[in-house]
Amino acid sequence: MDLQLFSQLVVNGVAVGCIIALSAVGLTITYGVLRLVNFSHGDFLTVGAYMTLIANGLGLNIWFSIVVGAVLAIAIALICEKLIWSPLRDARASMTTLIIVAIGLALFLRNGVILIWGGGNQSYDVPVAQAVEILGVRLAYYQLLVIALTTIAIVVLHYMLQRTKIGKAMRAVSDNIDLARVSGINVERVAVWTWVIAIGMTALGGSMYGLMTAVRPNMGWFLILPMFAAIILGGIGNPYGAIAGALVTGIAQEAGTYWLPTAYKPAIALVIMIVVLLFRPQGIFRGTI
Amino acid sequence: MIGYIVSLVIFTATYALFSLGLNLQWGFTGLINFGHIAFMTLGAYTTVLLSLQDVPLFISVIAGGAMAALLGLLIGFSTLRLREDYLAIVTVGVAEVVRLIAVNEAWLTRGPMGLYGFPLPLEDYQPNLVGKLAAIAILTAIVAVALWRLWRWMGAQIQGSSRSQWQRNLPLVATYLISLMAILFAIGAIAKQLKANQILPPWGLGIFLIATLAATVWLYVWWARRMFPKLPEWHVSSALIGSVGVTAFGLWVYGCGAVALYNYSYKAGLMLLLLVVLTLTFWFLERMLASPWGRILKAIREDEEVARALGKNVFWYKLQSFMLGGAIAGIAGAFYAWQLTFINPDGFTTLITFQAWTIVILGGAGNNVGTLLGATIFWAYNTATRFILKDIIPLDDARLGAFRLMVIGLLLIILIIWRPQGILGKKEELTLGG
Repeated sequence: MDLQLFSQLVVNGVAVGCIIALSAVGLTITYGVLRLVNFSHGDFLTVGAYMTLIANGLGLNIWFSIVVGAVLAIAIALICEKLIWSPLRDARASMTTLIIVAIGLALFLRNGVILIWGGGNQSYDVPVAQAVEILGVRLAYYQLLVIALTTIAIVVLHYMLQRTKIGKAMRAVSDNIDLARVSGINVERVAVWTWVIAIGMTALGGSMYGLMTAVRPNMGWFLILPMFAAIILGGIGNPYGAIAGALVTGIAQEAGTYWLPTAYKPAIALVIMIVVLLFRPQGIFRGTI
Repeated sequence: MIGYIVSLVIFTATYALFSLGLNLQWGFTGLINFGHIAFMTLGAYTTVLLSLQDVPLFISVIAGGAMAALLGLLIGFSTLRLREDYLAIVTVGVAEVVRLIAVNEAWLTRGPMGLYGFPLPLEDYQPNLVGKLAAIAILTAIVAVALWRLWRWMGAQIQGSSRSQWQRNLPLVATYLISLMAILFAIGAIAKQLKANQILPPWGLGIFLIATLAATVWLYVWWARRMFPKLPEWHVSSALIGSVGVTAFGLWVYGCGAVALYNYSYKAGLMLLLLVVLTLTFWFLERMLASPWGRILKAIREDEEVARALGKNVFWYKLQSFMLGGAIAGIAGAFYAWQLTFINPDGFTTLITFQAWTIVILGGAGNNVGTLLGATIFWAYNTATRFILKDIIPLDDARLGAFRLMVIGLLLIILIIWRPQGILGKKEELTLGG
């Protein structure tokens, strides 16, 4: 076994796992808090990356662009909340209805991106960065950055969920929406904050993914499978589980290419998912739904 | 022209067969299958690969359907015991992985190069006059039964309503529908002229189209809201207009089909074979769904716990429905391959799954006639836009494709929010309530 190659793959896996973690947290909290299986979540990652591309194209520097991109993506998500999700919640729509609407939205967003930017690859206007080499393992600058930023984002998320009022309210709604409502929690406000946190982190992940690879219209759609694998593995509705699940999925996907052709990465995510569903459908950690 | 109509009929019928499988799973049992294309891919490849090994076509198709059912068994076994959302997630993944296998296992599927030169049904069949007349007779029988059923349904609608009411409404409803079509046609014609003469810049043309279409939709929704509550039997009138339209259209297509069969070609024979299979499948499904088995599926869709409380093995029924729907999609896949005479993974995109979803929801989930109607409307839309949109929308080809997909996405959202029962579905069933 070529240890050096294998550790390189594991390092790549950690970087990809961080991207999946950033977006899977959003997917799992919309799933847990709003009871919405958001199939358009991956496409919001794409939208985030393209919004950053707009800001970057206007000459803003990349860090500022990422912030602007996240804000624009959140704005789009809030428009969807206002136009689609909030009315559907008021009509007490069933989970299946929400799922079909979400997949329709996914098609709409992805093809909207193709309509505006075309189907080709795009990249940000950033300086070429040097890779760092440790014990023969190459660590690209943007990979290191992704890992660092993800760690910061997760710490901030942890603080928000545990210490702030809105975080507590979110956990309460996630546990039991009716009980939360009768204890005076404003569910609509919680929904808005859920979108802000979920899409903010996802858009950040999208921009990071764009930095690491390229910005393309189906980047998010192809990540939806590992994201679902991560949240099922970690227990649906549990953000910490989603992070752990994302790292496991990311590492398994990349390390798996040591034995399997690269093209079969999504198959690894699918196998993880099916094994979890067969033997421990509630996930490794406790999910909320 | 007639050759084109024949291929359109084949495409429509293939999609109808494919969507009937989805309608069984989603419309009747409430199973969310976002990977329906996986069944079609498996069915098509199994059929083609076996027939390339000189296995008789009939057995190859059956094997294709069986493989698709087996895939259904595997997916169903791991997810159908759990909540409905897990099935949706896993089917998306399975469809992706099936596509990856078709692309990457070149030793089996020849990857993106694709497979061609495989045996086709009725390929070398050269009918004499008697054979041609027999073929036309079969087509006539199918069309006659379809029209007979349509008019019997129409008769039942008229029976239940007061004659003077719907007769008085008829001109108003006809005016509404015909004027709507005339306005849409006029907008298209104007936009075509504008584009051809380059009077407006592309963005100006885009704004013109969006503005006029929005205004038309708003006007007609407003008109419908004012007019229809005052016309108690308007749905009978519109059903009558619809039936007349469908009959005229059906007879025209029938004429084209009969001429094509008389000047026999491979495609004409395939069309007849496919229509026979579609009719048999439709009849079989209707029989099954009218039986206690079908009622249990509906009970599961409406409330799983009720079915369970009645002592039904819910998991087993769901699995049967999922596998049967998959097998039907697999057989549709064989016809898809025979129509194209060349298959590669690009022909089996995720998009087809969502086209089938649009067909099922548009026609009315849980209604097989609705699915057939949905497939026809979908292909009419598809054909019309393929030729017309190019002339009136200021976009290049790739973007036009994206635009049409956006329309499908939007249509899914709008239908499921405002008219979840589609055109022919029952309002009491499958509505928003949880």
